[in-house]
Amino acid sequence: MTNTAGSRGGRFDQLFVNLGPQHPSTHGVLRVGLTLEGEVIVKAEPDIGYLHRGSCKLAETRGYHQCVVLTDRWDYVSAMPNNLAFCLAAERLMGLEIPARARHLRVVMCELNRIASHLLFLGTYGIDLGAFTPFLHAFREREMILDLYEMLCGARLTYNYIRIGGVMSDITQEWAAKTREFLGFFKPRMREYDDLLSFNPIFLARTEEVGLIDARQAVAWGLSGPNLRGSGVSYDVRKADPYSSYERFDFDVPLGKRGSCWDRYYCRALEMRQSVRIVEQALDGLPAGDIAAKGVSKTPKPPPGEAYAHVEASRGDLGIYLASDGGAAPFRLHARAPSFINLAILQEMLVGRKVADVVAILGSIDIVLGEADR
Amino acid sequence: MTAEALASKVAGRFPQVVMAAVPVKDYCTLRLTSASELAPVVGFLKEELGFDYLEMVTAVDWLGPVSPEGFVRGGRNPNPFASEEPPTPPAARNPGAPYKPVFDLLWCLANIPERSRVFLRLEVPRDRPVVPSLCAIFKAADWQEREAFDLLGIAFEGHPNLKKILTPDFLVGHPFRKDYAHVKDRYDE
Repeated sequence: MTNTAGSRGGRFDQLFVNLGPQHPSTHGVLRVGLTLEGEVIVKAEPDIGYLHRGSCKLAETRGYHQCVVLTDRWDYVSAMPNNLAFCLAAERLMGLEIPARARHLRVVMCELNRIASHLLFLGTYGIDLGAFTPFLHAFREREMILDLYEMLCGARLTYNYIRIGGVMSDITQEWAAKTREFLGFFKPRMREYDDLLSFNPIFLARTEEVGLIDARQAVAWGLSGPNLRGSGVSYDVRKADPYSSYERFDFDVPLGKRGSCWDRYYCRALEMRQSVRIVEQALDGLPAGDIAAKGVSKTPKPPPGEAYAHVEASRGDLGIYLASDGGAAPFRLHARAPSFINLAILQEMLVGRKVADVVAILGSIDIVLGEADR
Repeated sequence: MTAEALASKVAGRFPQVVMAAVPVKDYCTLRLTSASELAPVVGFLKEELGFDYLEMVTAVDWLGPVSPEGFVRGGRNPNPFASEEPPTPPAARNPGAPYKPVFDLLWCLANIPERSRVFLRLEVPRDRPVVPSLCAIFKAADWQEREAFDLLGIAFEGHPNLKKILTPDFLVGHPFRKDYAHVKDRYDE
């Protein structure tokens, strides 16, 4: 145990602080072992695995259609992109062609899910920093999206809606009308969040100069999603490797400038506006036709081979690697989980920061431990 | 950059690195012949071709299909969709499958401005799964290599902190290996 001189000539011992695993600001079961010298962090060790269920191994004894259910349980606050990533990989393996209507419906659901997920982030991040009101506003809107999902497929979080070959069910006129009604309600609310939280002086003071990640560092650690774009790196899978007819929609990729906690926060706030644009375009231009490819086997046995597909999930680049041996179950399923990879940078980022900033930095990375641990 | 153009650029410097016989569908997949090539090839891709984003590190155990016995508790298969008949031997089930006692490692590197990505593959024998670590080149390799070590038991030489990450401390073995058998612990009934 080393001693260093404190600012008043006293001596500080190193102090080990165990943050989590049961702590509301760690957003799940994350434990961070912090070594402090006075108020300054000298070592941070994130400890994960409390929620490890081995879902990728479970997939090796289940049929392809059954695996979609497993993917719901990774990022449980935005499960649609998980479904989509797995289905895209399986479809690539099987060589399936997806009808245009199904591709549009997938886009609608994924973007609504992105709004719901970012609303959850916005609300809980406010709570992390002591602002309770935005949380109630954000959850009111998120609840509306969950109601839409419940109407669509009966589930509020674990949808199993996107299936191999297409989607589970078509939308009704009533659903489309309610979604438009929600978008109309939601659009003016985004300015409300800006007034309440984004440009609140206390919030700015807590986040603007905190948790800086420069672009080189972000790329080196393999960050993705708003965490990477907050540092000014323009990388969005929807643009870089388009899937599910995203190339047909007109939207921007919001970028941050300095990679601070506020930049990452505001990237997400701006992304919600873009998601609204995409949902509106997709609903307006929804093509007629089938909602699922014809002739998808109930027990598909794709020929031996390997496929990789990735999507821009709410938290970043979610990649699915599938290997087939010709059997009815995937031979190997690997998920490149954005939360898992985004979390690794904590061990470098927290060092040298004050302990009071830990929660601000942790919250701004926006992790879901179900996905980090799989 | 097309897959062929990229492969020929790499082959210009490293003639033994060729396109893999079984590619990851729709992506450029290069097959390394020995573990010692990994660091130079990755360094070349990063420094001269701009692949500075390590997207994924993983591995496949090609021993054969997993035996369901490892999951069965109390003699009964909890999966209601599983057949009641005794399992057929794996080789008879999937005659065309390339089973062999190797780990096939897979790295995915991306070039963000040019929007291209490349997969590198390397086979290592199952009885001595040692490959060099990429931690010094990409920090993103840190946790992903730890994950592959934890779940598949692949030793990444030169990794500064190679220890378990996902499984609990008391768990014995590497659960994502195909021959993993569950050892009863205090959480079994």
